Amino acid sequence: MTTPTVLVSGTDARRWMLLGALSLLLAALVLFMRDLEPLFRDAFPDLDTPVYVRETFLQLTLDHIVLVLVSSAISVSVGVAAAVFVTRRMGREFEPLVSALSAIGQTFPPAAVLAIVVPLAGFGFTPTIVALTLYGLLPVVQNTIAGLGTVPPAALEAARGTGMSRWQILFRVELPLAMRVIIAGVRVSVIINIGTATIGSTVGAKSLGTPIIAGLVGDNIAYVIQGAVVVGLLAIVTDLAFERLERRFTFGAQAGGGAGA
Amino acid sequence: MIELQGLTKTYGGKDVVSDVSMTVDSGEFCVLIGPSGCGKSTTLKMINRLIPLSAGRVILNGEDVTTLPEEQLRRRMGYAIQSIGLFPHWTVAQNIAVVPRLLGWPKSRIDDRVEELMHLFHLDPDFRAKHPHQLSGGQAQRVGVARALAADPEVLLMDEPFGALDPITREALQAEMQRVHQETGKTVVFVTHDMDEALKLASRFAILNQGRLVQYDRPIELMFEPADDFVQDFLGKSDLGLKLLSRRWVHQYTADAPYAGVRASQGEIIETMRSYGHVWLVDDQGRPEGLFGARLGVAREAQQGLGRLTQVETDWTATPDMTMKEALSRMVWRRVTALPVVDDAGHLAGEVTMDGIMGRQP
Ligand SMILES: Nc1ncnc2c1ncn2[C@@H]1O[C@H](COP(=O)(O)OP(=O)(O)OP(=O)(O)O)[C@@H](O)[C@H]1O
Ligand SMILES: [Mg+2]
Repeated sequence: MTTPTVLVSGTDARRWMLLGALSLLLAALVLFMRDLEPLFRDAFPDLDTPVYVRETFLQLTLDHIVLVLVSSAISVSVGVAAAVFVTRRMGREFEPLVSALSAIGQTFPPAAVLAIVVPLAGFGFTPTIVALTLYGLLPVVQNTIAGLGTVPPAALEAARGTGMSRWQILFRVELPLAMRVIIAGVRVSVIINIGTATIGSTVGAKSLGTPIIAGLVGDNIAYVIQGAVVVGLLAIVTDLAFERLERRFTFGAQAGGGAGA
Repeated sequence: MIELQGLTKTYGGKDVVSDVSMTVDSGEFCVLIGPSGCGKSTTLKMINRLIPLSAGRVILNGEDVTTLPEEQLRRRMGYAIQSIGLFPHWTVAQNIAVVPRLLGWPKSRIDDRVEELMHLFHLDPDFRAKHPHQLSGGQAQRVGVARALAADPEVLLMDEPFGALDPITREALQAEMQRVHQETGKTVVFVTHDMDEALKLASRFAILNQGRLVQYDRPIELMFEPADDFVQDFLGKSDLGLKLLSRRWVHQYTADAPYAGVRASQGEIIETMRSYGHVWLVDDQGRPEGLFGARLGVAREAQQGLGRLTQVETDWTATPDMTMKEALSRMVWRRVTALPVVDDAGHLAGEVTMDGIMGRQP
């Protein structure tokens, strides 16, 4: 018989192909940036070193990904936990506070966060993680609250009526049903942080921002382009991957609706 | 057995359920009925503690339910709601299997049970792997009721489970529910505001009005001794007599029929007719052929005169497994006051008469 999974439609297949193609392009750029030297030399004949070589792009990309992964992991765990807490009966009164705090986290410019954290935590990895984590918190908190709010009351009543415990209701019913909206929030958070992680390089955290900063400081537009293109591609590929992931958590009636980020 | 003792729920100083006491015996099909907002759902949800009591007690088989852990209590009570509340991210099979899974049944037993229930509710096995959004309203409600029954609970609580259905699907599900109740002998507490549904299913009625239990009785007692004007009005809104007859069977009303063979002498026939007012003529095999006497409707008597033979045609016989409503309908349609009751072989087995209907509690 028919399976419940979404049929692979024309656009669906095309999106998978796009994701695959862009991933390959990204991998190729990261691995073989140096081999593009003749190209950049033609484009920027005035530059002595038209390709950034102090670190490999593979290394920079991995550093960048680690920054994003670590900060997003913290944002997601803290954000989801906070949102779950304020949607429970005992935490309800903290909802305005948590929403306000996470909103402040996002409106606070990451550069300002760095300026505050660096004197406290020193240069490098830690202040960057702090800034990114704060910055990525809001979409996760907001969407988790919104996602938990989209769980049909009838399903909740049925869950209670069948004798599930609170934890069982949370993990078996609420979170799975909210997952699509939560993932949408994580998607926004991660994408923002892929872009924002570049500023870590201003305080000495290695990332794809490093060639960009180096290019800006040393007047080497080619470095800026190389860093920016890889960051941009990384963001696009990640976004497409999240889009694929969200689809897997779409259940019938929710297909069209639900709150975005 | 469920005992409600002084069940009360207060919201903001106002009693929405007020001092409701009643006992639902094991195997009883108890219907809670009353106008919208009278506290039916609230009463039902206090039984499985989805809503905490303001006062009173609920005793399940001798145990106060507040002494039992909430979750365990609910797993012992199947619960079906009007809005169905299937879990959208689970398949039909997973939805039905919720409680057995919570109870930690082995997988093979769960699979068997799901299959059994799907069969019981006429759900095609193909539906096992479907998700709720792929079901029609009627199918979803079947799944909802199957889920409530899955772990073979002692008690079934149902809050307008067939609420949002078209009349045909609704009737089919009511029939299924009736069958399931007869087969399993479960104690059911069933909320509805539909009198037809209640009459079809109830072995006991609990009529609520403004949070109070105004009458708790069997359907017949309710009809003959309504507790007050409210109940009278509430019942009077429907064709209660006919509805009751639709739950009665011809065999319950069948009386011995006076008869004579077609070869009987004229004297014999007249003699029987004198004592009974009418006589069925049966052929050599015992099949009714005709009727002599005053048992015809007034219109026909005037037309045909007393004592004329009227041929029995199949559309004015009754069978023992026919509902009394249908038998009555045939009388009205044929304008007669008696029907011969025939068995499978077509033999005269007795008769149902208008006097018989009137002379007996429906
Ligand atoms: N949480 C609540 N807070 C305040 N009042 C409530 C609450 N829940 C129910 N009520 C009130 O209690 C009364 C009974 O509600 P209930 O849901 O039991 O009615 P019902 O008989 O099931 O009605 P219906 O047939 O419309 O479903 C209503 O007047 C309703 O407004
Ligand atoms: Mg109700």
